[in-house]
Amino acid sequence: MNSMIYKNKKPLLVFLIPAFAFLIVFLYYPFFQNVVNTFLKIGGLGRAPEGLNTPWYENYQRLFTDPYMHTALKNTLLLTLCTIVFQVGIALILALLVDTIRVGTQFFRTVYFFPIVISATALGLMFNLIFLYKGGMVNQLLLSLGKLPYEVKPSGKVLVEWLDWKDQAHFLFTMFMPVMWQYVGFYFVILVTGLNNISPDLFEAAALDGADGWKRTRYITLPLLRNVLCTCLVLAITGALKVFDLPWVMFGAGMPENQGWLTGTYMYDQTFNRMNVDYGSTIAVLIVVLGVVLSNAANRIFRPSEDL
Amino acid sequence: MKKALALLLALIMALSLGAVAYADGVTLNVVTSYGGDDGNRGNFEAAVKAYEASTGNKVNDGSATSNEEWKAKVLTDFETGSEPDVLFFFTNADAEPFIKADKVVSIEEIRAEYPDYASNMRDSMLAVASDGKQYAVPSYGYWENMFVNKAVLDDCGIAVPGPDYTWDQFLADCETIKGNGYTPIACSLVEVPHYWFEFLVMNNGTVENHLDVPASVDDEAGAKWVAALEDFKTLYEAGYFPANTLTASDAETVEMFNQGEAAFLIDGSWKVGYFTENAADLNDFAISYVPAKGERKASEAIGGISMGYFITRKAWDDPAKREAAVEFVTQLTSDEVLSTFVTTEVTALINGAKPSGLNPLQQSAADANANITAIAGAVQDTITGEAKADLFGNIQNVVTGKMSAADAVAAAIALN
Amino acid sequence: MNYGTKRIPHILTYLVLSLWALTTIYPFIWVALNSFRKKGLILSDSFSIPLGESFTWDNYITAWQRADFKNAYLNSFLISGTVTVFVVIIAGLAAYGLVRYRFRGRNLLYSLIMAGMMFPVFSTIIPVFRLEVMLGIAGTGNRWLSLLAVILPQIAGNLCFAIIILMGFIQSVPIDLEESAYLDGCSVFQIYFHIIMPAAKSSFATVAIFAFLWSYNDLFTQSFFLRYPQERAITGLLNEISSQAGVNYGLMASSVVLVVIPVLIVYICLQKHIIRGLTAGAIKG
Repeated sequence: MNSMIYKNKKPLLVFLIPAFAFLIVFLYYPFFQNVVNTFLKIGGLGRAPEGLNTPWYENYQRLFTDPYMHTALKNTLLLTLCTIVFQVGIALILALLVDTIRVGTQFFRTVYFFPIVISATALGLMFNLIFLYKGGMVNQLLLSLGKLPYEVKPSGKVLVEWLDWKDQAHFLFTMFMPVMWQYVGFYFVILVTGLNNISPDLFEAAALDGADGWKRTRYITLPLLRNVLCTCLVLAITGALKVFDLPWVMFGAGMPENQGWLTGTYMYDQTFNRMNVDYGSTIAVLIVVLGVVLSNAANRIFRPSEDL
Repeated sequence: MKKALALLLALIMALSLGAVAYADGVTLNVVTSYGGDDGNRGNFEAAVKAYEASTGNKVNDGSATSNEEWKAKVLTDFETGSEPDVLFFFTNADAEPFIKADKVVSIEEIRAEYPDYASNMRDSMLAVASDGKQYAVPSYGYWENMFVNKAVLDDCGIAVPGPDYTWDQFLADCETIKGNGYTPIACSLVEVPHYWFEFLVMNNGTVENHLDVPASVDDEAGAKWVAALEDFKTLYEAGYFPANTLTASDAETVEMFNQGEAAFLIDGSWKVGYFTENAADLNDFAISYVPAKGERKASEAIGGISMGYFITRKAWDDPAKREAAVEFVTQLTSDEVLSTFVTTEVTALINGAKPSGLNPLQQSAADANANITAIAGAVQDTITGEAKADLFGNIQNVVTGKMSAADAVAAAIALN
Repeated sequence: MNYGTKRIPHILTYLVLSLWALTTIYPFIWVALNSFRKKGLILSDSFSIPLGESFTWDNYITAWQRADFKNAYLNSFLISGTVTVFVVIIAGLAAYGLVRYRFRGRNLLYSLIMAGMMFPVFSTIIPVFRLEVMLGIAGTGNRWLSLLAVILPQIAGNLCFAIIILMGFIQSVPIDLEESAYLDGCSVFQIYFHIIMPAAKSSFATVAIFAFLWSYNDLFTQSFFLRYPQERAITGLLNEISSQAGVNYGLMASSVVLVVIPVLIVYICLQKHIIRGLTAGAIKG
């Protein structure tokens, strides 16, 4: 699809220079600094490096031996998988469903997006109240359904064994559910926009040929949506790798018992709480490398043409 | 598209115009920790207004809530040359980076020109930096001690502990309290174990050697830190902390104490304000004493003065700002202004502070403080941020048996 | 979108869609309801409608008194508006160039953009801060410069995502349209402004929404560059209030409502734009 129009490459500069100027100054150069920092010894955010690490690749060695890093990676990869399956999956189902109805489309589009509009600070606070140990929304519900054991003391005081939603048995659900819920609307909007970019003529032609229902979805919609779906996939992977704010508000530093680390929260904790700037930078490099590898793999597998 | 471009150009013009039209009178950039939920925020803001009114200068107030992130930002500002003119900051190891870089002016140097600077303070109580000089003019100090919920104690038939409270009595009380269906100790081990750490360390040593930092696990200080962590484990295994102490936030456990579900809470002078605002009945609460073990007496507590006003070199070298900065610190640390800040805390004022109209909890704190026989600063303030984060982060591993107390202390020492 | 007859029973479709809608609306209503509830009642009874005794305006009055909302709204709109406009223009141009031109290094640039999307903001913020101090933008205590200091990295931070999204959509614009315009004597730039932009209008609106939202909700960058009260933007204000509020959940709820309302308005405005973009039927297969 290399048209005649685009044989003359001069206008290309005008198209690309503004974007890359911004990216180089405010993204690539700082990240290059970050990569350099991984080899240096830096004891505080504001402090100048105290020379090279010994050995200079010390931080990379540490990545492989640090047990919390392993936990963080394991959790994050699980989150990535869940994100792809549930987030993008639910968004796709909802988008396909919305595409079949005529009344209320705008309403659903508007409200599905609400969770993204609300800032993570506010959402974290809300979910903390929902999963609160004593008297949280879920626990109150369980108690009224008689699902929580309780004991009556001789003094008449009632002791309820509340369910700790943030303990080792439950934290994965409590951590992942809000993250996934929040961003379903995000992929939904992208997918719906993609669906709307598909020409109605195609469907009319298909209808004339007698294709309808799931057949139409299977043979027309999904293939045409493939590019957009692939974009969603890449966004889901990169998003999951650096997910930070909601888990941080709800779980802080690795709760429970250092089983709850994610790459994003571990990096933040190392950099800003432990002043381990160089190690934090190294985790950032790992996040980027993983993101590039995983999203390239996703692209290889799902992108239809050789075209990017 | 054109509309958007026009809007954009207008914005850029507005931004550049704004940048030029900004040079009227002396404007002091001030950064303090009196932002956020600080109990003295209102007092501070009133004092700043009074300063502005009396001098005609403007104060650009960049106050925030003090936490590790805030400290890091302040240090980054010094590093990059964007430090404020006057800074209210910690006077301990945290301040060393900018003191060593000669970015702040010592009191001695200021007094050479303004002999009356900080003359209302007891020099002996001002923090001394590693170079032997004093830099910061203190505002007021703090104490850490045990808050008790009297309603819970009453219900369990336990009297409010006095200054002779012993560890064994405390353990027996905890057992009674637990048996009555309450949580003995309100504490989030995962978020804020440091108040208990201070007292457990002191319980395994003395008030005099409290500030000794271990050089190895085997030395005297190392031994008492290890013993302190083991005490944590004892209390945890006995079930005296909240059932969810490893996942609860500090706000949650403090609130459970406030709601009458827990009996004991170790916290600082700044928490009095929280109960004043949130307690159903202030008379249900009292300030008591942390039970003592070994050589320590229960009347010995943590306290001191940890923050003060610094004038930066940047402001001092600016002829327009020098006078304004000195006047600012002088006004903000005058006897009258500080008396509005101080209720029951330690002060360096020669004449002492004269707080008035104490509420029941403040009165209880004042009564308890009158019985305090000695104080030591918090030892956690003397170690590096990284060592601190590592040590407190490992307490949950120690109490659950995933790590030995000695290993946790050794790991922290390695980072100090 | 009027094709054929329906296949899945509509009731079931609506049921599924409404269930999800419930999960997204309810928390918002919950927050709004509790913002009118008297202090201390939230934990014991957060689900009823606050009427009579438990109803109060106090949370809003306190929030409005404690913080300078008007100024913070202005700052937020200056920041997020500028970021949105720049991101849409710059990313649109770059996406178009990358999709339509074949040149050496194209794959490299694409990979760079992909990588750029993964840079965690915590890893770039300190070098950016130092750079901006050096340039005399950040840490001056001047309100307008501080706003600019937030705007610049936020533009860069949103560009990669915007380019990727726009590339996806521009790819699906049939090239025949451009070829016929070219034969009519249009320049590349005319093609971009008169064909590509209208055709991908809804995608541009989508990107604009995300750029605006992320900029508006980006507490981290804001709290790094905006220190003084007259500089504070709305999300920073929310953080400030919620850290002061302690267990005063009602005050927090009212601040959340005050913070969310402007974004909702922006979203609903742009949302209409998306609908128009697609009913115009600009794309013909």
